Amino acid sequence: MKNRRLLALGAVMLVLVTLPFWVRNNYQLHLGALIGAYWVLIAGLNLVAGYTGPISVGHVGLLSIGAYAFAILAGTHGIHAAPAIALAGAIGGLCGLVLGLPSLRLPGFYFAMSTLACSLIVGELALAKQGLTGGGVGIAVPGFPAPFHTPRGTYWLILIIGSAVTWLTWNVARRMWGRALIAVRDSVVTAQAVGVPVLRLKLTVFVFSGITAGVAGALFGSLQSYITPDTFVFEMGLFFFVCIIIGGRGGIVGPLIGTAVLTALPELAAPLAKLGNLLYGVLLLVVVLLLPEGIGRLFEVIVERLRGRRVESRPVAPDLARLAAAIKLGRAP
Amino acid sequence: MLTVLVSGLASGALFAAAALVYNVMFSTSKVLGVTTGQNAMLGGVFGAWFIGNLHLPVALALLGSMAVGATFGFLTDLIAIRRVLNRSDEHLWLLSTLALATVTQQAVALWWGTEPLPFPRLIRQDFSAGLADQKYWLPIITTLLLTGSIELFYRRTLYGKLFVAMSEDAFAARARGIPTDRIRALSYVLSGVMGGLAGFSAGQLTFAYFALGITLSLNGFIALAVGGLGSNAGALVGGAALGILSAVATYFIGGEYQNTVAVGLLMVVLLVKPAGLFGAQTARPV
Repeated sequence: MKNRRLLALGAVMLVLVTLPFWVRNNYQLHLGALIGAYWVLIAGLNLVAGYTGPISVGHVGLLSIGAYAFAILAGTHGIHAAPAIALAGAIGGLCGLVLGLPSLRLPGFYFAMSTLACSLIVGELALAKQGLTGGGVGIAVPGFPAPFHTPRGTYWLILIIGSAVTWLTWNVARRMWGRALIAVRDSVVTAQAVGVPVLRLKLTVFVFSGITAGVAGALFGSLQSYITPDTFVFEMGLFFFVCIIIGGRGGIVGPLIGTAVLTALPELAAPLAKLGNLLYGVLLLVVVLLLPEGIGRLFEVIVERLRGRRVESRPVAPDLARLAAAIKLGRAP
Repeated sequence: MLTVLVSGLASGALFAAAALVYNVMFSTSKVLGVTTGQNAMLGGVFGAWFIGNLHLPVALALLGSMAVGATFGFLTDLIAIRRVLNRSDEHLWLLSTLALATVTQQAVALWWGTEPLPFPRLIRQDFSAGLADQKYWLPIITTLLLTGSIELFYRRTLYGKLFVAMSEDAFAARARGIPTDRIRALSYVLSGVMGGLAGFSAGQLTFAYFALGITLSLNGFIALAVGGLGSNAGALVGGAALGILSAVATYFIGGEYQNTVAVGLLMVVLLVKPAGLFGAQTARPV
């Protein structure tokens, strides 16, 4: 079982690494890189929304902060790209801490509204601070230095960072931490009762998601090569969330597939591009109402139907010899 | 300066109306629907459509907007609330109403366009009226009327008392033979009517704009949290405070920081008095 999993993982990684050699044009490669950049954010958000439960629709604000930080550091001040990406992540994490410290204490709806407000505030500030962000005109974002300056190089860089983040979240999710996160999601009171430090846990994963959002912002901004406040609309935050919900909460593969499909779908089917945001809304509604466990659950159900439900039979028969011995002894043998 | 106060009070009245809509929905279902702002947005957009494109008389357009709001409220309950409440997962209603709000907003954007379009004059009046302009006092009067009538409704009518009973304890109300599903649907229809009316009356202030809903959901929620969840007087006070504060901040600092100031107010109130100014303390479930 474990070998098969490793084999599948190896095959997927091989396909992803060699992707630049068998895509038909640079646009498809750009799409692959875009999925990777989104995934860096969504992998972090998955720990918050998928595992721990707080509904954050405002991660687009943190993405925007990361993108602007990278544009200003690497573009305006000419810092090398590697420390600039790291600094964008650090700034994203710091903003996550500032946002999470007051708002994670609030109950569900209040928290969602705080994150929504965060994304609106970041948009406002990006518009207002013209000297820093270029205001409504926007700001150019530099590319990455060699060897990552070609489309293929950029793709591989994003693949490396994406794989690293996935590995990190997988490590968090499958160990004691992940269990604690799921416990908080399923019942805060019970988790508290068995000694899980709820607020500290939530804050830690939220800051982690802020860091990944900052890094994702740097990658995303560089891919777009030019950003304005209109790039980071509220619907984008919703889109990240939909990817996780559709993939199923409490897993990593599901949200990954959700991200890839949802990013590629409106881009590849041209008539859908205009309807993109409407489509996300409808999808979210359908999934929440019909399949709250995610689309993956649908496949499980279908497979179960096709195979027929496996019925376990465990016949219960009295052990008469043992009983007789017990009666003779007057106690359990 | 007086202009700032009056315009702040007018937009504050709209926020207070949104907070009232939240309250009506919350009383029967314990759900804070993100669709609140969309109610008012639909009222504004359909009002402008009825008068501007179909050339209906104002009274008929008002009725039409209220009917659209009522339909939307009913659909909200039918689509986003009923199934989800039966499953009793805490977060699902937030997601379903958020999804419905997004679908509504995007559908209106496709149909109506993404530009804010002017809302026609409702009453014959010169544009030089200044502070006495109808775009200021119409929303204020509407919100005061709404608050008064909803209080009367709660205190004087049987259905209002059923609402109060359900907000106290829905299970006990059901055990006493109250058809809770039907009352909840009724409360959503009522909230839709109120939202449509508020959006219609404030149309000249906000314009007929598809993205009004999400801002209004946020600001109405802030007004509600400041005033105290469940309290109609609190909704009025919170809305007025938020509107005036936003207007004053816009006057002194600049219009770009409106949301920042609004959220700042929310954070201060939540830190000092978590239940809001007029809210009741709730016990923590243990």
